[in-house]
Amino acid sequence: MKSRILRALLIGASVSGATAGAQTVSHAAPPVANSESGTVAGSARTSPPSDSSHSYDAQALRFESRWGSADIIRGADGPVIGTVGWFRSFDVGKLVGSSPQAVTEARAFKTNNFRGSLVGGLGAVTLVVGAVVASNSSNNAASPILVIAGAGAMAWGAQHLNAGYSALSRAFWWYNRDLAR
Amino acid sequence: MSRLLLALCTGTCILTMGPTLMTAQERNYDENALRIDEHRGTISIVRGVSETVVAKIGVFRAVDVAAVVSPSPKAVAEATVFQRNYRPGTWIASLGIVTLGAAIGASRISGMNQAIPTSLTIVSVSLITYGGLRLETAHRALAKAIWWYNRDLK
Repeated sequence: MKSRILRALLIGASVSGATAGAQTVSHAAPPVANSESGTVAGSARTSPPSDSSHSYDAQALRFESRWGSADIIRGADGPVIGTVGWFRSFDVGKLVGSSPQAVTEARAFKTNNFRGSLVGGLGAVTLVVGAVVASNSSNNAASPILVIAGAGAMAWGAQHLNAGYSALSRAFWWYNRDLAR
Repeated sequence: MSRLLLALCTGTCILTMGPTLMTAQERNYDENALRIDEHRGTISIVRGVSETVVAKIGVFRAVDVAAVVSPSPKAVAEATVFQRNYRPGTWIASLGIVTLGAAIGASRISGMNQAIPTSLTIVSVSLITYGGLRLETAHRALAKAIWWYNRDLK
């Protein structure tokens, strides 16, 4: 009788164990595609070896803004390993190379950061030239055009810089996701 | 037979009632990890691969970030630093910009004592710099809060 009870207990345990396993698999299913962000869908989470040198605490990246640029920091209070921003050419793609989705986002960051820096910089110069022309009290019709065009270019550049930082945030999100915990 | 059924139910219950497993599943990285998204001056905090917006921080609108990152104590500490600096920083920087406008306006008025626009300019630059520093501190704290929150996910 005892052996029958013991067998029933084991069956019950194995049934519930299988259910828990199925839940785990469903949660680890590939993420949903996000067409807007351009992230690659359908990638199962890779599990690097549980090496302390690759743990989240030591390796996870983040960035902190600093007067128009951003410092890339590794770990909780880790070292600054690079600075990105206006006309800074730090290779983020190489840094996050172990994660394919992160590399895609790093490319988007690079493109947007370059466009934003270039157009925003040109806009700032145009705005200053327009302001100087206007302050000389000359009735030059070009001055309001220069000011408006400069401000417009700066706004367009700022949009691209914002889009770039959003892509950088996504790149680090994907990179950190693939680290061992 | 009834004893068998009871034993079967007991075996099932023992393994399905484990709260640790459910917590781990509810707070996994893919579905819950946060990140910052910036769009037209508004900072959004988005969650998971679905990119659900959980909080929007406007120019003068600071949300309760501590509540968003609440399960992680270190994240809450950083969120508190963010909240202590963000709104004052925004208001001080805005006041500095308004003062700068006043300085430019004062400099255009003929016969005005030149000490006034000069003083206004100095005050405005100081306010903008101080407000900017508070905002930088706030943004750094927000980045750290999200980093700590994500670290504590499974």
